Amino acid sequence: MNQFKYISPKTKEEALRILNLEKSQTCLVAGCSNILPYIKDKILSDKLLVDISGIKTLKFIKENNENLYIGPLTTISELMDSVIIREKFSPLYQALEEFADPILRNTATIGGNLADASPAADTAPPLLVLKAELEIENQESKRIVELKDFFISPRKTILQNNEMITGIKIKNTSINKNGCFIKLGLRQAMAISLASIAMVLESKDEKLTDVRIAMGSLAPTPFRLFNVEDFLIGKRIDEIVIEEAMNKVGQSVSPISDVRASDEYRRYISGILFKRALNRLINQARG
Amino acid sequence: MEEYPLKITVNGKKINAMVYPEQSLLKFLRSKGFTEVKCGCEKGDCGICTVLMNGQTIKSCITLAIQANGKEILTAKSLEETEIGRKLQESFVNHGAIQCGFCTTGMLMAAKGYLDKKPVPDKEEIKKAISGILCRCTGYKKIIEAIYDVAVENYRMEGNGHV
Repeated sequence: MNQFKYISPKTKEEALRILNLEKSQTCLVAGCSNILPYIKDKILSDKLLVDISGIKTLKFIKENNENLYIGPLTTISELMDSVIIREKFSPLYQALEEFADPILRNTATIGGNLADASPAADTAPPLLVLKAELEIENQESKRIVELKDFFISPRKTILQNNEMITGIKIKNTSINKNGCFIKLGLRQAMAISLASIAMVLESKDEKLTDVRIAMGSLAPTPFRLFNVEDFLIGKRIDEIVIEEAMNKVGQSVSPISDVRASDEYRRYISGILFKRALNRLINQARG
Repeated sequence: MEEYPLKITVNGKKINAMVYPEQSLLKFLRSKGFTEVKCGCEKGDCGICTVLMNGQTIKSCITLAIQANGKEILTAKSLEETEIGRKLQESFVNHGAIQCGFCTTGMLMAAKGYLDKKPVPDKEEIKKAISGILCRCTGYKKIIEAIYDVAVENYRMEGNGHV
């Protein structure tokens, strides 16, 4: 029989104290999008559920000239209500629009989406191209981890069992506006991504000066395609460059076959998604 | 096995109970007689378990019962208490938006949550609002039209003129 316990700390300090005390016995919960399904599938059992959903100080969206700070407990709905995110961080906003469904968005949190670390997590590719940094704390100390170093494997991150994400930081730079997120799913809503891409780019005099590409559902974790980025930077974008870049994308992904698609289809569609995103942003940049 | 105290209001009725941490709000509500909240996939996919918690739509099958502590839950039975709720019920019936009826209470709660925001009536926005609730019978068209009609009437009555 299941032996679950429950506690709902009201402050960050109390939560960290509990995590430090009970360590591997704990399971952080907030929006609980996946917790009950995990319990039902026996992925989670006999844990102390540490419900941090009541910690109001971890729910925020703050902006200054240099950075955007998002609290991990900010819900997807709350993020979508933010004018700052809609206007200045377009790949993130576009991902939020495709996230699950409006009802789940009311309780799902951005920190939870990252910490759950599904290879298909929809907030991950945009945050990767926005070069997000995570503030991670335990009772004694705080560390900063770049999101690109956060994911290890499906549902596994660098978080130790006495740690939690306490903030997400994104630099406020102009490239963030010229971005997009495209998600391929078997339905138009409530679909786990079959493949996804986030991209931001900057161009000058018809040449690409900067580009960042991240993909989801095409590898054990969401990831940046650094080799494709390096290939594209400094080049004039024409059909030949796009074709070669598409091949590189196809070689960069390591998809699996599952209920949603075969690995061959995913590999094929990765190049198509890349082309769609690139063309969309190039046309946008032209104005 | 540990139980925890739960103080919750459902459709205006105060309830005190002891719950296990892993009990879903859905199962709790049904155990207290609120069987209008339907159990479908229990995974958060089909949405027929949708209720309002402190005015927000949530899927009760994936919400821990204990997370509703101190909160106000409204189920489809509360619709008859408000004018907009009654209008929704009537509109669904008049439009033929109910076939087997199993998704209906979930659809109604999603619609109520959407209309409570007093939106400018928009069929595309209605589709998004109910996109998390699956219907196997109707093909959704009549559900969307039923909600749209109430949205239009509501919008007009708020003094916004005709849409």
